[in-house]
Formats: sequence, structure tokens, C-alpha cells
Amino acid sequence: MSVFEGAIVYSNLLVLLSIGLTITYITTAVPNFAQGSFAVFGSYIALTFFRLFKLHPYGCLPITFILGGLLGVSTYLLILRPLIKREAQVVILMISTLALDLMLLGMLGSYSGYLQSITHKSTTKFIFTPYDFSIFGFSAILIFSSTVIIITLLALFMLLYKTKFGVALRASMENPSLAEVMGVNVEYTRLFSWFLSGGLAAMAGCLLPFRQEIVPSTGAIIIVSIFAASIVGGISSIYGALIGGYVIGFSESLITFSLTGFLGTSILLYSRVISLIVLIATLILAPRGLTGVNWRRIVWSKLSLT
Amino acid sequence: MEQIIINIALWFGLYTIVNLSLNLEYGFAGIPNFGRALAVLMGAVAVGGVVNRILIFAYGVSGNIIEASGEVKTIANEIISHNPMYGILLLLLCLITASILGSITGALFILPSAKLSEDYLAITLLAISEVAFMVCNYNVDIIGGYYGVSIPDVLAFIPGKSRMPVFTLITLIVAFLSFIFVEKLTNSPYGRLLRAMRENEDVVEAYGKNVMTLRIKTASIGAAIAALAGALYSLYSVNVIATSFSRVEWTFYPFLMVLLGGAGNNKGVVIGTLTFVTVKILLTMYKHEITYFLHLPFEAVWLEYILFGLLMYLVLLYKPEGLIKERPIFTTPIKRIARKLHQKF
Repeated sequence: MSVFEGAIVYSNLLVLLSIGLTITYITTAVPNFAQGSFAVFGSYIALTFFRLFKLHPYGCLPITFILGGLLGVSTYLLILRPLIKREAQVVILMISTLALDLMLLGMLGSYSGYLQSITHKSTTKFIFTPYDFSIFGFSAILIFSSTVIIITLLALFMLLYKTKFGVALRASMENPSLAEVMGVNVEYTRLFSWFLSGGLAAMAGCLLPFRQEIVPSTGAIIIVSIFAASIVGGISSIYGALIGGYVIGFSESLITFSLTGFLGTSILLYSRVISLIVLIATLILAPRGLTGVNWRRIVWSKLSLT
Repeated sequence: MEQIIINIALWFGLYTIVNLSLNLEYGFAGIPNFGRALAVLMGAVAVGGVVNRILIFAYGVSGNIIEASGEVKTIANEIISHNPMYGILLLLLCLITASILGSITGALFILPSAKLSEDYLAITLLAISEVAFMVCNYNVDIIGGYYGVSIPDVLAFIPGKSRMPVFTLITLIVAFLSFIFVEKLTNSPYGRLLRAMRENEDVVEAYGKNVMTLRIKTASIGAAIAALAGALYSLYSVNVIATSFSRVEWTFYPFLMVLLGGAGNNKGVVIGTLTFVTVKILLTMYKHEITYFLHLPFEAVWLEYILFGLLMYLVLLYKPEGLIKERPIFTTPIKRIARKLHQKF
């Protein structure tokens, strides 16, 4: 796989994860610190079907989407809704997702131990790269991850702009209390957003082992890139997640790769430092993210200066 | 049995230091510092990276930090075993370096996020802490990465058997001093200002106080205290391995203890710490028995994560104010008024 191809694949997966993070942030106003573990959950579903039923991970995508969605919905129903009902502050909600992250880590760890005991193959550390194939000279992971992105975006677009539910959804994202007054059931939109978030994250997790090694605690490592992608794009906009995912994905892959010329290959380990730097730069220059910047005004002021 | 009690006391001391600092930042000032582990890691860097390098330079040992630190350890241990004063000075040097380094990093890393709302702040602090942890883990030149570096034993003059009780005592003394300091600080006008900031930043701004400066100051003090725990832990285990400064151990568990005890109440936090540490140490002690008894096909640590994650959630849901509630502040004028009211009725 060429570096550029790898960058596209990685960015595609980041976009899936950050769209999920953003959409739940918009509807529930809580950044989900367990998003990374949602992805690892998907990886382990794919691994289970692969080891036990010989189902290729690509064929497993719909199943991971549904199971991941159920995980998302149960996160909302079991963890967040009881706290929201008690009018908990945002910080308390954030800590509850941290607690969920730890519980998920514990469950994934124990499950991997259990799976290892029945399959007698290593499950605490695994990678799918050897099972990848190529289609028309491109690696299958590139084709599949891009297809998933295109289908997701088209479906999301159709849903948000062509259906009545989408209108209600957008209304409750803009102004939840006003939407509720107008008769929109905010609860449905939240449930939907959590289903989508969990499903997309699990699909990303299903494809992630084609790019990097998975251990139960992988979620804690990728969460930095997911947050960076969402914030750089602007955490209150779905387009922001799309833009941010590509910005972070490409800068992590390409900047670190171009730096290897000067600093040697050991720099490849520090790709997250790049996302952190991009994140901090964004927070200083444009705290509301790229989509929160009034580009027209900037262009206008540049033009009037000359 | 004695061993278990000393172990509990040691971890109680270490965690009390970290939790008091977190209580200052989160409980009083309302800064959701999801990057507490960073300050503790900085304490370890101060000992393993800075003080170690000073010693390496002083003794003129050559080679990379991992091997040189081993040599320095042998030389320093030899000196300390004859000269206890040297060990005590080294201990103080380590603690001072740790708090200086901690306060600098605390202030520096809250800078980009000092103006942000609390959710952005939490995300940024978590990201910084995770990345710092990763860099210290991969880069073998800072504190030896996953190989680790050796640290001189500052108590080399004490015979092996009583070393641990003495070290535990030192840790408890530092914890006690931190308690006095944080208690005094939070009962001062500054502490009341912090509580005001937690409740409403705009009001604090309107009274002419700069919220950003307040946040930077508090984060700096908090990190300086937390770094002490990192330094003590490294000195206790006579080596530093970056892997042991994970988010779960030094950010999540402190949050759990603070919320369990009662955020904004230092005494509550101490009680929360004692409860949690006792449960945790007993779990760790009997983990083989638990694994065997329940026929678990996996390591007991995963069970510990599920258990403590669940505990945190139950605390948030059923007892968000903690074991001991935050108390209203009784300043001298309020006390006087209260006494007068008491006399009247």
C-alpha cells in the first residue's frame, strides 16, 4: 500500500469515527470519550465472526454496523439518559463516558481472553492485513473504506435533507427546546444519533485492523485523533467532521512520512503529536473549528487591504 | 497482614497527594482536568530525567541514560549507605525539582485551553496527557521509555526490611503537608474565589478578576502537588517506567476517589481515597484467588476495570455529592453573625 493510499484509508476511518462523535455531541451536548472503544468493539465483532465462522471482515460490515448501533443506543439509554434526567452537568456526563470507556475496556479485555481460550489463537493483539486482497490494482481496504464513506454520506444527506424525520433532526440539532415546542420528539433524534454513532464507529473498527494492530486498549490511543478531527473541523457541524477527518488523517500520515527524510523512521511513532499540534493550533486560531470560521469575512478583509 | 497494611498506607499517601491536587482543580475551581496523569508523569520525569542527569553529569558517567542511570545508582547507593544526609538531600532535591517541573507544565499546557469552555478544556487536557504518555513511552531518551531507568535508593542507609515502612511514613508526611496546604489555600479568599469561578465565571470576571489567570495559577499549583506523587512513586520503586503512568491509574482513579469522597471537600476526598485504596489493594492481593475461584479465562485486571467503571457510574448516579458533602464556608464575619443569631434566639 502506498503512503498516499494509506493516508486515504486512515482518513476515511477517522471521518467515520468523527462523524459519530460530532452527531452525538450535537444532539446530546456531551463529547463521548468512549468513541475509541466503540471502534475496538467493532474490531472484536469482526474478529469473532472471522475466527469462528470464517466470515471475511468485509462481509461482516453490516453486522458490525447493527451491533455497534445497539451499543450506541444502550450507551444513551443506560448511561446518559438516567444522568440527564437528574440534570447532571456536562462534566458529570463526560466523566460517565470515561467510566463507560473503562468498563468497555474491561469487557473487551475479558472477552479477548475468553475468545483466545476457545479459538487457541492470539486475540489480545491482531491484524487483518494478511487477509486483504487487491481489486484493479488498488488494495481492497481503500475501495471498501471509500465505499462505506460514500454510502454513509449519501444516506445521511438523503435522510437529513429529503425526509421529514431529517427536518425534525436538523431542527432539534439547531435548537432542541424550540424543536420540542414545535412537537419534535427530541428523544427519537437522540436515539437515532447514538445508533448512527455506534454503528459508524463499529464499522470503522471493523476496517481498522487492516491498517494497524488492535489491542483492547487501542481505543485510548485513537481517541486523540478522533477528538482532533472533530474539533479541527468544528465539533458542532457534520461537515466539520468530514473536513477535520481528512485534515487530521492526511497530516498524521503525510507530515510524519515527509519528516522521516530528516529525522529517520523513528518519527513514525509520533504521528499523534502531529494531531495534537494541529488541534492546539486550531484551538488558538479558530476555537470553533474550520467550519466555524467566517471565511467570507477573512477573504473580504484581505481584499480590502490590497 | 502487616505487609497489606503498609501497602495500603503507601498507596493511600500517594493517591491522597494526587487527589488533593485534583480536588483543588476540579472540586474547587471546576477545571475538569482529564490530564491529571501528565503532572504525575512529570514528577517521574523530574526524578528519572532531570535529577538522574544531574547525577550522571556530576559523577562523569558516560553512555545513554538507561545504562548510565544503572551505574549512577550503584555509586549513589554506596554513598547514601554511609551518609544518610546525602540521601535525605537527594530526596528533597527530587521533590523540589518535581514540583517546579510540575508547576511549569501545568501552567504551560493549560495555556491553549484556558479560554475554552469546560468540554473543550477536558478534551484538550486529555489529549495532551495521552500524547505525552505516548512520547515518554516510545522515546527511550527521556526516561528510558519502556525499558525504564534506574533511580538511586534515597533510603539506602536503612536496612532492607524496614525500608518500606520508612518510605511509607515519608509519603504520609508529604500527604499530610499537602493536606494542610490545600486546606489552608481553599479556606483563604483565593479558595472562595475559585468556588465562585466554578459556579459562574462571568460573575468573577465582572468583579474584575481574570478567569484565565486564575485557571493558569490553579492548574500550576495543582500540577506541582501532583508531581510530588510521581516523584515519590519513582523513588519508592527505584526505577521509572513510563508505562506505569497510565490514564486509568492516575487520571480516572483519582477522579473516582474525588467524586466518591465528595468533590470540594478535602476531608471527604481523604476518606474516599482510603476507601478506594483499601478495596483496590485487597483486590490486587487476592486477584489470583479470584481468577481461580471464578474460573476466569482472562486476567483479573479486566474485571477490576469493569468493577471500578461501574462504581464510578453508580457514584455519579446515586451519590454525585460524594460521601461527605461540600460545606458552606464559615469565614470569621459569618461565624460572628451566626453566633449573634444564636444568642438572640
